[in-house]
Amino acid sequence: MAKIILRHLIETPVRYQEEFEARGLEDCRLDHALYALPGPSIVDLRKARAAQCPAADSAPAELPPQGGKSRFQILLDVVQFLPEDIIIQTFEGWLLVKAQHGTRMDEHGFISRSFTRQYKLPDGVETKDLSAILCHDGILVVELKDPAGTK
Amino acid sequence: MSGRTVPHAHPATTEYEFANPSRLGEQRFGEGLLPEEILTPTLYHGYYVRPRAAPAGEGSRAGASELRLSEGKFQAFLDVSHFTPDEVTVRTVDNLLEVSARHPQRLDRHGFVSREFCRTYVLPADVDPWRVRAALSHDGILNLEAPRGGRHLDTEVNEVYISLLPAPPDPEEEEEAARVEP
Repeated sequence: MAKIILRHLIETPVRYQEEFEARGLEDCRLDHALYALPGPSIVDLRKARAAQCPAADSAPAELPPQGGKSRFQILLDVVQFLPEDIIIQTFEGWLLVKAQHGTRMDEHGFISRSFTRQYKLPDGVETKDLSAILCHDGILVVELKDPAGTK
Repeated sequence: MSGRTVPHAHPATTEYEFANPSRLGEQRFGEGLLPEEILTPTLYHGYYVRPRAAPAGEGSRAGASELRLSEGKFQAFLDVSHFTPDEVTVRTVDNLLEVSARHPQRLDRHGFVSREFCRTYVLPADVDPWRVRAALSHDGILNLEAPRGGRHLDTEVNEVYISLLPAPPDPEEEEEAARVEP
């Protein structure tokens, strides 16, 4: 099956591409939850998918423990930075997010900024278990990869 | 930290001052967010409307800058509430007014964070950099002010006279003349 790439006015986050493929383009066009960024009102895609295709046998068994345990997820407001200004590293069980931009002009003159944030990773989490998304509105999401999604 | 942050900048002209908004909001950076703080995204002509995050009381105005334009003085307000007074430095380099601040790793409600920024204002031409005064209020607003000379700068125009240079002497003729002489 050819990969469906849906071009909106802005590019759609990659995390939903598989959804288009699985459900068909026309079906997705009216599902506004797909275009929403992570937020309180967003429908959990995994749950939605599990409800739609109950044939997937192993998925419901795995969901409850995950739902009870909060997944590792960090949200950061990095709207002032370009994607290439941001470095995400892991070091001995710590997650480091560094962002730095050089002097640039704005309405009041010139500005340069940088920051470093450190988070303690849950035990046994490595770089390969993490995924990062920079949303269109400048919110960086670093989270544990979905074990169901990688299957 | 000895040189200018900006290689060269002309003094701010009146046109420049008035062409720009006097307040700059939404200057926060590197703020941690909690999932419940994020509002549902709204699209406006294909652009996401900010702020996505509900303004979270303390620290939500950090970095905001305001320029007050008046006849008698140059005044700028800058929110440096993330930094303690000894972490902020203000200096002028020629006609640049530089505010830089950095703080080392520190614990906040999301984890450890260190921040650094440097904001440079370009002083108007009639402000004497030596007379800039800075005051930091208890809520972390840095107030920078300097009296203005009040003189209106006329554009100085100097028509440069173009002098005509004589044509260079022909090298062949010179060589002949050199041969003839001895």
